[in-house]
Amino acid sequence: MKVRNRQLATLAFSVASAAAFFAGTGAASAAPPESCEGPAIRVLVNDQSTGDKVPLPDVAVAINDEAGVLVIEGVTDEKGVALLCLPDKATYTVVLDTATLPEGTALQDESNTKVVDEQTFTTNVKTVAFFTGTAVRETQGYFGRLIDVTVNGIRLGIIIAICSVGLSLIFGTTGLTNFAHGELVTFGGVVTHLLTVAWGIPFLIGAPVAVLLGGLLGLFLDWALWARLRKRGIGLISQMVVSVGLSIALVNFYLMRFGGFPRRFTAWNDQIASSFGPIDITQRDFVAGLVALTALVSVALMLRNSRLGKATRAVSDNSELASSTGIDSQKIIRIVWFLGGALAALGGVVRGLDEGVEADMGAGLLFLMFAGITLGGLGSAYGALVGGFVIGLFVEVSTMGIPVFPELPLLGFVKHGVPTELKTVPALAVLILILLFRPQGILGQKERVG
Amino acid sequence: MDAELVDYVQAARAAFADLSPTPGMRKPDPVLVASGIRRHFGGIVAVDVDHLEVQRHSITALIGPNGAGKTTLFNLLTGFDEPDSGTWAFDGRNLERVVGYKTAKLGMVRTFQLTKSLTKLSVIENMKLGATGQIGERWWNGLLPFRWRAQESAIEKRADQLLSRFKLDQMRDEYAGTLSGGQRKLLEMARALMTEPKLVMLDEPMAGVNPALKQSLNEHIKRLRDEGMTVLFVEHDMDVVHDISDWVVVMAEGRIIAEGTPDQISSDQAVIDAYLGTQQGKSLMEDI
Amino acid sequence: MNWELILQLTLQAFFGLDAVVFIIAALGLNVQFGYAGLLNFGQAAFMAAGAYGLGMSTYYWGVSWWWGIAFGAAYAATLAVVVGVPTLRLRADYLAIVTIALAELVRLVVRSVTHKDKFGGSDGLKGFARGFHALNPIDGTGNRYGIGPLQAHGTMRIALFVLWISISLGIAYAIARSRWRKSRPQRVRWGTAVIGICLFGVLLKLFQYFDYLGFELWVLIIGWIIVAICAIFVWALMRSPWGRVLKSIREDEDAVRSLGKNVFGYKMSALVVGALIGTFAGMISALRNSNVQPDNYSRSLTFFVLTALVLGGVAKVSGSIIGPMIYWALLAFTDSFLIQLGDKSGRVTVGGVTLLNNSSAIGQFRLMMVGFGLILLMVLRPQGIFGNRAEMALDGR
Repeated sequence: MKVRNRQLATLAFSVASAAAFFAGTGAASAAPPESCEGPAIRVLVNDQSTGDKVPLPDVAVAINDEAGVLVIEGVTDEKGVALLCLPDKATYTVVLDTATLPEGTALQDESNTKVVDEQTFTTNVKTVAFFTGTAVRETQGYFGRLIDVTVNGIRLGIIIAICSVGLSLIFGTTGLTNFAHGELVTFGGVVTHLLTVAWGIPFLIGAPVAVLLGGLLGLFLDWALWARLRKRGIGLISQMVVSVGLSIALVNFYLMRFGGFPRRFTAWNDQIASSFGPIDITQRDFVAGLVALTALVSVALMLRNSRLGKATRAVSDNSELASSTGIDSQKIIRIVWFLGGALAALGGVVRGLDEGVEADMGAGLLFLMFAGITLGGLGSAYGALVGGFVIGLFVEVSTMGIPVFPELPLLGFVKHGVPTELKTVPALAVLILILLFRPQGILGQKERVG
Repeated sequence: MDAELVDYVQAARAAFADLSPTPGMRKPDPVLVASGIRRHFGGIVAVDVDHLEVQRHSITALIGPNGAGKTTLFNLLTGFDEPDSGTWAFDGRNLERVVGYKTAKLGMVRTFQLTKSLTKLSVIENMKLGATGQIGERWWNGLLPFRWRAQESAIEKRADQLLSRFKLDQMRDEYAGTLSGGQRKLLEMARALMTEPKLVMLDEPMAGVNPALKQSLNEHIKRLRDEGMTVLFVEHDMDVVHDISDWVVVMAEGRIIAEGTPDQISSDQAVIDAYLGTQQGKSLMEDI
Repeated sequence: MNWELILQLTLQAFFGLDAVVFIIAALGLNVQFGYAGLLNFGQAAFMAAGAYGLGMSTYYWGVSWWWGIAFGAAYAATLAVVVGVPTLRLRADYLAIVTIALAELVRLVVRSVTHKDKFGGSDGLKGFARGFHALNPIDGTGNRYGIGPLQAHGTMRIALFVLWISISLGIAYAIARSRWRKSRPQRVRWGTAVIGICLFGVLLKLFQYFDYLGFELWVLIIGWIIVAICAIFVWALMRSPWGRVLKSIREDEDAVRSLGKNVFGYKMSALVVGALIGTFAGMISALRNSNVQPDNYSRSLTFFVLTALVLGGVAKVSGSIIGPMIYWALLAFTDSFLIQLGDKSGRVTVGGVTLLNNSSAIGQFRLMMVGFGLILLMVLRPQGIFGNRAEMALDGR
């Protein structure tokens, strides 16, 4: 028990310190200099010529309504931000006065006007950004892109890893392949959005609450549904079909209440990227990644060292044997569902920070999660961590080609990299190859497959 | 019994008559020969058989304490599991790369410890399933009933004959799931016979069977040999072993520790040690 | 509340093209899942293969669409083999996982901008079915036609009369036989006649409530003909020795293996046969609107077909036919009911509480009910409407 407490303490400490860090610095960049009573448009003007976003102060911007009549005008402050209050939510045009741009800078996309549609006012403040300077990414070169892609891959990998642990453990302890697991991930994102954006609870309270609720949801599902099915002796294939039904029900519930468009958490939306050597990463992404990584490591350590973790692994490997040694399998299964739900929710929160929250964000990740746990070994918790991480990394890195590779027909993607929209395709190839040659995965037990 | 059948029985007895038994010894006319079969599961050696030969037209019993590796050996020989090393041949034909179903096609059929009668099929359908070579089992032929109808009636006739032999003809159209445990055992054996095998491998045929049925099963097994098949069976019940087998092979901890006629085995010290040294229910001493 | 409109829409859906597409897809899925016990969650991929095969070959290469059909079928069969080889030797879960991945993948590739020149991207392919619609024997494709004998004239009326009375008697016979064959055999003939006449009468009454556009009716007729062909095909297969082996594999592979049957081969042939049938479903779907769009073949499509199949009864041909019909009728009913309950923008309020915000929320609400429905079905009545509990090999698996 002492070891477990220590792990939890480490986790809590990391979260707390991240929170403090964030609160201290984040507040400054997130809070606007003033606020409006009603809807507003926040205009950002930044220069990107050096690769960092450099704010441009004293740039004049004006907002016209649909008829072209001027509504309000303003000037950017020392942070390059101008907050302009509006009478109501309608369609507006934001116009930047290029004459007021500093000497030697010009707008990146030639147009100095941007239209803000009435429909996009999902929250009161709509952000519009103007960038000057040349597009930085082009001059980055292969290795610059490689590093970016690797960083993205690490982030995606961590997310998939923490989402899949639950999936793998659920399989190991109950035999169920839970096709509704993606919806537990989405739950995290959606609930956090509800708490922080719709109800205005600060993110640092809302997010952990959502994670906790995710865990409770997992527990509830087991109590209300899965435990009863198991008790009834309903077979695993039937249970799989039930999980499919649950997935359909939840996805459509999210769609109904949340809508079909992606949304972001409003806090920390416009982050300025800081550079760590060759890596550009925003504060938000960095902290989110750190929290996820800490969770990952804590789970791994807990599984390895704590009594609970060992018991979980025992039940996952062989539940009859485990119960004959006095381990309460039922209790372990409940804990697994709680942990699985909470971790999935955490994954959803982090993913929401990265890419925004969407009703089917979890479903899209589900396939990658399966690829990950098959790679690592179905039922093995470490396998899920390793496999999920590798798949995430692989998916992102596959968009880079190997330039020295010869140009072959059908294999053009090796040289040029997989197009971004198709980057999940190689994961399927990995899945099929693993099943062909080593179906138990990297860390799984070899079973008789007849 | 006609003259030809009697030959098999006597030939078997004769073949074993002058042999001085040693584990892994050669047989005059083996139908199954296995060498160097090794299988381990994560550190535990399940099977480590140097040599084993099974005499044709005989009933050979494979006995040993629990965990001796008998069922594993069965699985390996029939292709339901892959050994780490070893070669074995059935009727002169090398089986090393042959997978599970092909061994059955070659004439080597097996039953299972936990009876696998197909409960969602009727008894007669279970039997018809056993027939090999029904061309209607290919889907393109399956679409054209006229191609397989004749074969199907012939198969059905044979099935009915077997069912009446095993006294299951009354239950012909019932779902196999409604049969009692003993009846299911009989069904599995009858179904196996539909494949017209040369070697019948029975995995604990008497497990969970009541004494009256045991007698009946004994007779059925003996009849298999009398009809020219070879039988290899795993069993714990020493009465049965003594009653019907021509030859006994004893395994312990994955190795063959003794072979011989039932009488010879009863008095073999190595065998007694193996049994008394573990928590085996029935002691061999009672049969002496 | 305009009940007549609701009835019309419900009946149209009951006999309509969505149901037909689902029936064919369900027949294929039934061979795989109902009979052989294979969890194919990617039937949508095979449907897409059929649709795109047909669309692409007629659109781009201008070949006759017999070649298109052949191409789509070959493509689907190849996919089935690619998916089957690594997974059919392993546990059922693996096939499920890989087929979901496959469905998602096919959709991504076909939708991608990279391959837009081949597949048409997210807009898909259009306009390739002109040749097909040119064959439409119905004059006045813009007019509406009922499908009952009273709605037609002359020889058509006689033909429809014969058709519907035969169908009514056929269904009546099936019902009478299953109820009375063992107990009172003499009742069967009598029962067939009575049930058949009543059924026919009901149909005659219902036919007056709905009709179809001539344009659509043509595809519908072809669709139902294909349903009949596929249904007979599956029915014949399942009564054959091949079907017997499949059913046994579903229950216990090792037993079948021990009898000398190549279990892997049987599973593979079941997968391929099911995929090929699914291809036809995709083609009918493509012909209907003369367009193929990738988002119509999402991963949820397979799940919906599965729900319709379970509703009707797994491992029964009649289940694959009735299930989708009832499924779509229920969806249409809920849809039209809720729309009428709501106001202009689709907002549905009950007792002052806003349940649904807009018209798309109605669609999502329906689907949410489908999900719950599937759960309830699997828990309370897994054999569906026509299934046989004793034959349900899903218990304990």
